[in-house]
Amino acid sequence: MLSEEETRRYARQTLLFGEEGQEKLKRSSVFIAGAGGLGSAIAFYMAAAGFGRIRIVDCDAVDLSNLNRQILHAQVDLGRAKALSAYDALSGINPEIEVEAVVERISQDNIKELLQGCDLIMDGMDNFPMRYLLNRAALESGRPLFHGAISGYQGQATTIIPGRTACLSCLFPRAPPPATFPALGSTCGVIGSIEVTEAVKYVTGKGRLLENRLLLWDGLDSRLEEMAYEPNASCRECSDVSAKAVGFTQIGQR
Amino acid sequence: MRIKVLAFATFREILGKEKEVDLPGSASVKELLEALAATSPRFKEAAFEPSGALRDYVLLMVNRKRIDPEQDLSRILAEGDELAVFPPLAGG
Repeated sequence: MLSEEETRRYARQTLLFGEEGQEKLKRSSVFIAGAGGLGSAIAFYMAAAGFGRIRIVDCDAVDLSNLNRQILHAQVDLGRAKALSAYDALSGINPEIEVEAVVERISQDNIKELLQGCDLIMDGMDNFPMRYLLNRAALESGRPLFHGAISGYQGQATTIIPGRTACLSCLFPRAPPPATFPALGSTCGVIGSIEVTEAVKYVTGKGRLLENRLLLWDGLDSRLEEMAYEPNASCRECSDVSAKAVGFTQIGQR
Repeated sequence: MRIKVLAFATFREILGKEKEVDLPGSASVKELLEALAATSPRFKEAAFEPSGALRDYVLLMVNRKRIDPEQDLSRILAEGDELAVFPPLAGG
């Protein structure tokens, strides 16, 4: 049941999916990997929308060069751990939800533990090795992975549902070489918002997800394109675990 | 034969967002990419290894559907086909 205050807080979005949908959001636990540019947009909108529990993980400290896009953090947070600054920002927006900040580097050794109790995985990472780690964890546990990435004015997004869609490695079998990318806050906003919209749809059971579809945003041209992809029979990640993942309950689709 | 080429991300900065390429007779995906490389040294450098092999992370879509560069480079294109070519974005 929603409290009176929650009913008022979410009145404009329960028009979309009812109090029942809001209760589903309230019961959802999300894992946000990264409190950078994408992670900021994702976390803000998830907190405001009332996802009941948010665990946000980042090992870095806030640097002045982050503040053009990482809207979770403010000037006063310079030098603080990003996860802690995220905690303050998110709790400030919505005291009704539970926020958990973890100052840790996500790795193969701790990912399982970090994901414990979380239903959804949100990609706010800035490199492919970490995304492959999230992808594998998603496949092994049957949790959906909401992918996004940006560079400059451009961004991409897709939704991975283990057992139902291709995985991230089917689409991107090889990582591009590491580089320092240009980054604009508003591009993070576009792509992070798409990821959150996907998560809201997934949890409330509304609309059509970006399943096996890659969305490409070009802010310079103000255009969105869509490309289709399929599970890759020779995928190194999912060709052997997808059979296992199918056996998992689809969490979130309650 | 006329093929539409759509480029994204850094490849768009090199090739422009959309261009039409005329190829004599039939041509494979690989031949189309080589034709693009022949007209643009910057594209050649961005998309191909010095050895001449396509960089392994480059994404290819024919008519907006992903193809596997390891298996489908020899796929013969048809008049009016659209090839999208781009590197994955990785920032966040």
